[in-house]
Amino acid sequence: MQGLVSTAYAPPFRIVLKYFITAITAFLLANILLAFNYDTFQGHHFQPKLLSITHIISLGWITMIIFGSLFQLIPVVLQVKLFSEALAEIQFWIFTFGVIALTYSFWFFTIDMPLVLGASLINLAVIIFLINTIVTLTKVKEWNITATFLSASLFYLLITAAAGLLLAINLGYPYIEGNHLEYISYHVIVAVGGWVSMVIMGVTFKLIPMFTLSHNFSKTSGKIAFVLTNAGLLGLNYELHSKNQFFFLLFSIITALGFFFFLYQVYIIFKKRIRKKLDAALKFSATSYIFLGVSVLFTLFFLFVDYTTIRNITLAYGYFIFFGFISMLIVGQMYKILPFLTWYHKYSSKAGIEKVPMLKEMYNEKLSYISFFFIITAVIGVPVSTLADNNSLVLLFFSSMLAGVLMFVFNMIKILLK
Amino acid sequence: MITKEIKISRLLEEYPDSLNVLLNISPHFSKLQNKLLRKALAGRVTLEQAASIAGVDLNILLNELNKLNGTSGNSVSETNINNNSKEETETVSKEVSFDEDKIVRLDVRPILNSGKDPLKDIMQKVKQLKDDEVLLIINSFEPIPLYSVLGKKGFSHFTKKEEQTFFVYFYKNKEEDKSEFSQAVIDENDFENIIELDVSQLQPPEPMMKILETLNQVDEKTCLLIYHHREPHLLYPKLEERGYQAFCNKLGEDHYKILITKK
Repeated sequence: MQGLVSTAYAPPFRIVLKYFITAITAFLLANILLAFNYDTFQGHHFQPKLLSITHIISLGWITMIIFGSLFQLIPVVLQVKLFSEALAEIQFWIFTFGVIALTYSFWFFTIDMPLVLGASLINLAVIIFLINTIVTLTKVKEWNITATFLSASLFYLLITAAAGLLLAINLGYPYIEGNHLEYISYHVIVAVGGWVSMVIMGVTFKLIPMFTLSHNFSKTSGKIAFVLTNAGLLGLNYELHSKNQFFFLLFSIITALGFFFFLYQVYIIFKKRIRKKLDAALKFSATSYIFLGVSVLFTLFFLFVDYTTIRNITLAYGYFIFFGFISMLIVGQMYKILPFLTWYHKYSSKAGIEKVPMLKEMYNEKLSYISFFFIITAVIGVPVSTLADNNSLVLLFFSSMLAGVLMFVFNMIKILLK
Repeated sequence: MITKEIKISRLLEEYPDSLNVLLNISPHFSKLQNKLLRKALAGRVTLEQAASIAGVDLNILLNELNKLNGTSGNSVSETNINNNSKEETETVSKEVSFDEDKIVRLDVRPILNSGKDPLKDIMQKVKQLKDDEVLLIINSFEPIPLYSVLGKKGFSHFTKKEEQTFFVYFYKNKEEDKSEFSQAVIDENDFENIIELDVSQLQPPEPMMKILETLNQVDEKTCLLIYHHREPHLLYPKLEERGYQAFCNKLGEDHYKILITKK
C-alpha cells in the first residue's frame, strides 16, 4: 500500500457561514414580503415589488447560498485549496451591498443611478467570484463530472450578470432596440437553466450519492444531460439574434431532453441507494427533483400554446420553479450540510474523547417533517390559486410557505447555536 | 478467462476445481490444501508468481486451467514468458558476498509446515534489522511475492538455490535515500496489529465518528485500516490535530483504502 501523506483542504467555515446566514435571512424576508404584499401577486410579472422580491430570492437567497456552498464544496469535492479566502470575503460584502441596492431600487422603482449601481456591484462581485473559482479550478488534478458542470455554470453566471446590468441600464437610459421584456426572458433562461441548474446538476452527482450511500452507478445519463442542456441553452442564446421559430422550438426541446436525462440520472442514484428510508432532508431533495420534472413539462407546454393569454401564468410558473424546484432542494441540502459543518467545526475534535451529539440531535427532526408538509402545500397551492385568480387563497398558501420557512429558519438557528 | 494476473485466492474462489489442476501439475501447490495458509498466502500471490514459485511453465498452467473451466485462454504471449524467466535468472546469478556475522537467518520452512503464515515473523525480523545487516530467508520454494514487499522498503535481494532449498539474501541498498522511503511507503504489514474498519455503509459524519473513536487504539505497533467509499478529506486535519497521519490508496471507483498510523 503506497501513497503520500494525505493533505487537508479544510475550507474556512467563518466565510461560508456568512453567506449561509445572509441567504437564509433573505429567504425569510422574501416570504414575509410576499405574504404582506400578496395582492401584488397577480397580473403581469413586470412590477416593481415583484421584481424586487424575485431578486431577493434569486440573488439574496439562491445565488448567495450557492456561493457559500461552492466555497465549502469545491475544495472538498475537487481536492484543491480555494485560491483566495480574502477574495471570498471581499466578494461577500460587495455582493451583499449590490443586492440590497438593486432590490431597494426595484422596490421603490428608482430606476436610474441606484439600480445601475446595484447591478454594477453585483457584476463586480461576480467577476471576483469567477477569478477565485477559475484559478482554483485550474489547479484541479483529478477532473470529474462535477467540475465540468461547475465550469459551465460559471460561464452562464457571467452572462446572466452582464445581461442583468445591461437591462438595468436600459431601464433608466433606454438604448436596446426591440422588446425589453423579451431580453428579460433570456436573462431568466440563462440564470435558471444555466447558472443555477448547472450548479445543481454538478453538485447533485456528488452530494446525493454521499447522503444516500449510492455507489457504482453509471454516470452516462449525467454526461448526456450535460451535452444536451448546454447545446440547447447555447442554441437558445443564439436564437436571440436569428429569431427563427423552428430553431427556437428545436433548442428548447433539446434543453428539456437534457433535463430529463439529468432526472433519469438522479433516479438511478436514488434507486441504487443503500439506505432505503429517506429522512426529511432527502424527502425535500427527492420532491424537488420531481418538481423539476413538472417544471420542464410546463415549459414544453408553453412552447405550443400562447401562454401570454393565460392570466397569471408566468407568476404561477415562476413561483413553482423558484420554490418547488430550487428552494426545496436547497432547504433539503441545508438540513444535511449545516448540521454536518457545525458538528465538524464544534465537535469533531472531541469525538472519541468525550460524548458528542449525533447529527439528528442537533435540530428538531419532527419540525423538519412538519415544515416539509407546509412548504409542499404552498408549492402546489400558490400556483393553483394564482391561476384561479383567488387572492385570499394565495394569501393562505403564502402563509403556509411562511410557516414552513419559519420552521426551517428555527431549525437552522438551533443548529448554529448548538 | 483466467489470466496470469489473477490472484490465487480469486482463482480458487471463482473456479474451485482449479485446486485439483494445481495439485496435479506440481506437488508444490499442496500447501494450498491447508485452508489457513491458503487464506494467508493466496491473496497476495498471482498465478504468474505461483507458477514461478512452483517451477512450472505458466503457459501450460494457464492452458490447463482454462481448459478445465471452459474459458478460452491464449492470452499469454511467448515473449512475455521468456522475458520473465530471463529476469529471474538474472536475479539468481547476481552474486553478492556478505559478512558472515552480519547475516540474520530465518528458516521459514518449519513455520510453513506448521500451517502458519510466515510473513509476520519475516516483517518482525526486518524491523529489527540494522542497516548493515543482511536477512537470509531459507525456504523450500522461491518467495517471489516477498521481493516486491521488501523491495518497496528499499531492500535488494539475491537468491541462491541449493538442491530443493532456496537461500534468499535481503540487504539494504546503500544508494537509496532511506528517509524518503520510510516517508513515502508505509505498509500495514509494518505493524503487528491491524485494526480493520469498513465505513463505506455509513452516512456522514458517522464514518468520521467511528474512525475518531477507534483512534485511541492506534499506537506504534497498531495501525488502523479503513475501507471507505470516498477519500475522507475532512478527516485529515482532525488526524493531524491528534498526532496521526493517513495514507490513502484508491482501489477503484468508490473504493478507497486509508491507512492511519501514529506519527
